[in-house]
Amino acid sequence: MNGEGFLFLFGVVMAAVLLFAMVFFIIMFSDLECDYINPIDLCNKLNQFVLPENFLHAFLWLMFLINGSWMALILNTPLLAWHVYKIVNNRHMFDATEIFRTLPQHKKECFLKLGFYLLSFFYYLYRMILALLNEA
Amino acid sequence: MAAPPPPNYGAQRPPMMNNPNMNPHQVRPGQGLPGGPNVHPGFPGGPGGAPPLPAGQPGVGQPYGQHIPPNRAGTPQGYPPQQPGMQPQPGGPQPTGFNYGNYPQPNRPAPNYRPPTGPGHADGMPPAPSPSMGQMPPMGNVAPIQRPGMPPPLRPLTGHAAGVPGSPMTESPTARLPPNFIPPISGTPPPPGPGVAPPGTRAGRRAYPTADPYSNPSAMSPMGGPSLDPFSAQLPSPEYGRPGTPATGVPPSPLPAQAPQFFNPGQAGGQQASVPTFGAQPAGPPAPTFGSQPQGQWASGQGMGSSSTFSSQSDLAQVTGSFGNLSIGGQSRGGPTSVNLLQGPPNVQEFDGPAPTPWISPESSVSQAPTSNSDPKYKRCTINAIPQTIQLMNKCKIPFGLLVTPYRHLLDGEDPVPVINPPQIVRCRRCRTYINPWVQFVEQGSRWKCNLCFLTNEVPSFFDWDPETRGHVDRLQRPELTHAVVEFIAPQEYMVRPPQPVVMLFVIDVSYAAVQSGMLATAARTILDTLDSVPNTDNRTKVGFITVDSALHFYNLSPNLAEPQMLVVSDLDDTFLPMPYDLLVSLTESRSVIEMLLQRIGDMFKNTQNVGNVLGRALQAAHKMISPIGGKIIVLQSTLPNQNEGALKAREDPKLLGTPKEVSLLQPQTGFYKNLAVSCSPTQVSIDVFLFSAQYADIATLSGCAKFTGGSVYYYPAFNAARSEDAMKFAHEFSHFLSRPIGLEAVMRVRASKGIRMTAFHGNFFLRSTDLLSLPNVNPDNSYAVEMTLQENLTTSLACFQTALLHTSSNGERRIRVITLAVPVTNNLADVFASTDQFAVASLLSKKAVERALTSKIEDAREALMYKLDDIMGAYKSSFTTSGQAVQLLMPDNLKLLPLLTLGLLKNTAFRSTSTVPSDLRSYIMAMLYVLPPEMSMVQIHPRFWALHALDQQAGLPGADGRIVKPPSLNLSSEKLERHGLYLLENGFEIFIWVGRAVAPELVQMLFDRPAYDAITAGKTTLPTLQNDFNVRVNNLIGKIREVRIQMMTTYPQLYVVKEDGEPSLRMWFLSQLIEDRIDASYSYPQFLGVLRERLGKVGTA
Repeated sequence: MNGEGFLFLFGVVMAAVLLFAMVFFIIMFSDLECDYINPIDLCNKLNQFVLPENFLHAFLWLMFLINGSWMALILNTPLLAWHVYKIVNNRHMFDATEIFRTLPQHKKECFLKLGFYLLSFFYYLYRMILALLNEA
Repeated sequence: MAAPPPPNYGAQRPPMMNNPNMNPHQVRPGQGLPGGPNVHPGFPGGPGGAPPLPAGQPGVGQPYGQHIPPNRAGTPQGYPPQQPGMQPQPGGPQPTGFNYGNYPQPNRPAPNYRPPTGPGHADGMPPAPSPSMGQMPPMGNVAPIQRPGMPPPLRPLTGHAAGVPGSPMTESPTARLPPNFIPPISGTPPPPGPGVAPPGTRAGRRAYPTADPYSNPSAMSPMGGPSLDPFSAQLPSPEYGRPGTPATGVPPSPLPAQAPQFFNPGQAGGQQASVPTFGAQPAGPPAPTFGSQPQGQWASGQGMGSSSTFSSQSDLAQVTGSFGNLSIGGQSRGGPTSVNLLQGPPNVQEFDGPAPTPWISPESSVSQAPTSNSDPKYKRCTINAIPQTIQLMNKCKIPFGLLVTPYRHLLDGEDPVPVINPPQIVRCRRCRTYINPWVQFVEQGSRWKCNLCFLTNEVPSFFDWDPETRGHVDRLQRPELTHAVVEFIAPQEYMVRPPQPVVMLFVIDVSYAAVQSGMLATAARTILDTLDSVPNTDNRTKVGFITVDSALHFYNLSPNLAEPQMLVVSDLDDTFLPMPYDLLVSLTESRSVIEMLLQRIGDMFKNTQNVGNVLGRALQAAHKMISPIGGKIIVLQSTLPNQNEGALKAREDPKLLGTPKEVSLLQPQTGFYKNLAVSCSPTQVSIDVFLFSAQYADIATLSGCAKFTGGSVYYYPAFNAARSEDAMKFAHEFSHFLSRPIGLEAVMRVRASKGIRMTAFHGNFFLRSTDLLSLPNVNPDNSYAVEMTLQENLTTSLACFQTALLHTSSNGERRIRVITLAVPVTNNLADVFASTDQFAVASLLSKKAVERALTSKIEDAREALMYKLDDIMGAYKSSFTTSGQAVQLLMPDNLKLLPLLTLGLLKNTAFRSTSTVPSDLRSYIMAMLYVLPPEMSMVQIHPRFWALHALDQQAGLPGADGRIVKPPSLNLSSEKLERHGLYLLENGFEIFIWVGRAVAPELVQMLFDRPAYDAITAGKTTLPTLQNDFNVRVNNLIGKIREVRIQMMTTYPQLYVVKEDGEPSLRMWFLSQLIEDRIDASYSYPQFLGVLRERLGKVGTA
């Protein structure tokens, strides 16, 4: 297995992890809507995953950069930029006092990211297989 | 027992039946409704009640243009002069085709129902026998609740709208008419007339009708029948066709030509078919005719100062409105009374009128009690007849929301909320709605049908049977069925722990600034004096003190101590309490120690030089201290917190003011206080903030503490206790603050009829779930706004909103205050417009604008306000005006002040585009607008302005009811300022007395006890109390204002004397309140209207 194979294997795993994170977020949001959880607990719970998620994604992006996987890099850049933008503006955390007002946005964002991670999961898988085939 | 006596209807029906166009569903907006005895009981100056125009105000129809001072004369949209000839003339020509001789008069049920026969009525002339709202006799004999708002939803609509003659609906629904919709009106039996219900009616009604209007909306429809009463006589407005009526200065050439043909009552009904056939149907008053009825009613009932001038417009819009309605399916029956805004100055007298009420008689509730519907002071809806369909809701563009002030302070003479302690609290099984006056009893009264979700529930036996007296009781006497606002004493299951006591923990700044300004001494003195009136009925109230400078000082107030013991904590790395108990003590037990502390506290820090302040740490300690119980933390702060956690920077930067970046100063600079507040919320701790800073106080950040915990913010810029006015103001407010009743550990839930969804909430609270507001303390001053939307089309004729406030009262009882508001549903756009409550709309918009300003930019908030006004006016224009009216600026009569209110908001300190308002003041006003109930915030948006030198006989003296009579309000324009005048302007937070340069020395002597104008000192002042009539009256007025403000918003307005040639800044401050004038770069009112008209130019007419 060559470097690229390993990289995309790592990418597949990361994408799966991020995918689960998004599913978790969405489940929590629907819990909030159904009043199974109060906003303070929700925000405390979710906020501890926000930065790790962003960091993980940034790390993956960095790996692509180092490896020179330009296609994967380009795919991931907009999302990275979005994360950086939110962190710079201090909007990355969920705010318990605003959560109900911003819930639709958060949900939309989570769904979009879910879709993105899903697609990238398959893309990385494809690239991984391609790399393995090339090697063979 | 279900069926009410048909005779009621029968007597009225025949004439109508003769008219194929007659449609029982054609409920005229405003017709039956406003006429109802209980509806709009005292509409702002009903006929006869119309407040007289203030002396010196331009008379009716007097050309406003002439009043425009030279500096405004050139404005693009000055009020065009209007010829006196435009005045309606009673004997004016009748429009053709309007022969009301044809109308069968006999079907008029009661003599009072006689339509005015003189054409002059349409002009809003003081109607002799006019059936104006509020004066109508009980309509029991007439069509009971023919509120316009009870349209025949759904089924029949299309067919009827098309004017299907002789629809069966006319008949059958009558029989099914639910009894409880027959207005009971037991008190004043109407004179027996053809339509009078037989005496049995009431008895039958008492027997719990089984008919259910909710499931059978059409049942309501026939009620519209009687409202078809031939008020058409009012329709013809003699001057209608006259050229020039539209007062826009534009030759109204198209109008006269078109008018006659519009002026067919048949069209007013929105039925095209009826137009040609009208003449052929003389037998019955065509439905459309009552399109005209409300006109007279509204015109006169509204008591418009210049109603006669407006009426011509009204008629015109009325007719055209009906055209507009054709577009919505031909269902509507005419438009609301239109007013051309360009025609004259706004009628500010209406600000003093009572609030509009829902378009339904409270007596159509199950108990028929007059208290069945919520007083607008507790809860009001922006629309008093709710659109039935989503489409209609979107079309009207009017913001749909509720304004709730659940815990409001009662004013003198108001009945207290009934408190009841039933064996069981009766609620709907599914939606948990509390039983209320608007439920239906079904199945011989054995079950009740929820008015929100329509599930039927068991009626408990104690409703009819008193186990103690072993006797039958009348369930309809139960307060929960007779009162819209009730308080239940909650049993165990509503508590997670025993009701908490009142806890007040004072966190007092004792740094240099606090001591020097005298804040500390004044606060201690006020607390000491108020200890007796602090809520403490059960002797459980607990009190504690923390004083803060660069260290924290706790006080051991144990009752066993001879004197208080101070514990200083200067190691602030961590939050800890120096001792676990005795810091928070019972007020009763430790009274002497507490008093001793308060007497000494001023001296203890007399010589401090400490300028540090660790408020953040103090609040954490305070929270830690009371979090096991919950309660109130009262922060008195003179310095900006500058050390340790929660330190703030003095970030005020005058360069940013007035720029888009200004908003950064209005947003909190740190999340610390907000997070603290969020952690306080679940522990039932509320924080109230009093800020006294002479410099920057950072209200934007510190108010976060109050905002999310249900607290309040008070601001005393440059407080100096050496000035008696400052000390008085603070002492009054603080003392009222401490003694007012508080509700503790509260949650509030708002429920609404199926199909209505809450989308947003505004106010000071923490939103714990989609519709659950967590309020650690409920504060009587705070109101809450709820934005709503239609999720699906409504299927019933009534929409209900129920607010339940579960709280612990200050006497240690767990209580649920339930407030129920019922609002009829309509499928008629005209009704929606005609029933809109402009003050509620303005109040809701102000709250939305505050939120917008804080999350985006102030400029965006201004734009949003403007856009919304545009939207509403555009929606109205596109539905209710014709191309001939394009030069006018039409608004429904009941919304005619909305542009002025919007202008008031745009020029308000909170939103004005200026670089002279410090960010603290702006934050403070925004915080106030965000929480104040509409009655209070309205004065801030549109101040009151009185001429003191021209007080009439009664003004300032107790009237017949013992209340001080208010002088008539003046328009907020400097053209009202005469050089010899003396004026009073009040905006809720300040009272200004403007003294003209040429004021009569006698007046000065009488009021200020000074020989002449030159001897008066401008600025903050206290009026001397002298023994002369003038002084007594003015002092009465000021006293009255202060009394109401202190009770309703805990504010003691400061009095400022402004001299015409006095200090420029004070003068500018006063002049900036005159919102009809040009201020800085902002528009004057006429200019503003011009801009509006321009913006609306693109909107097509109907």
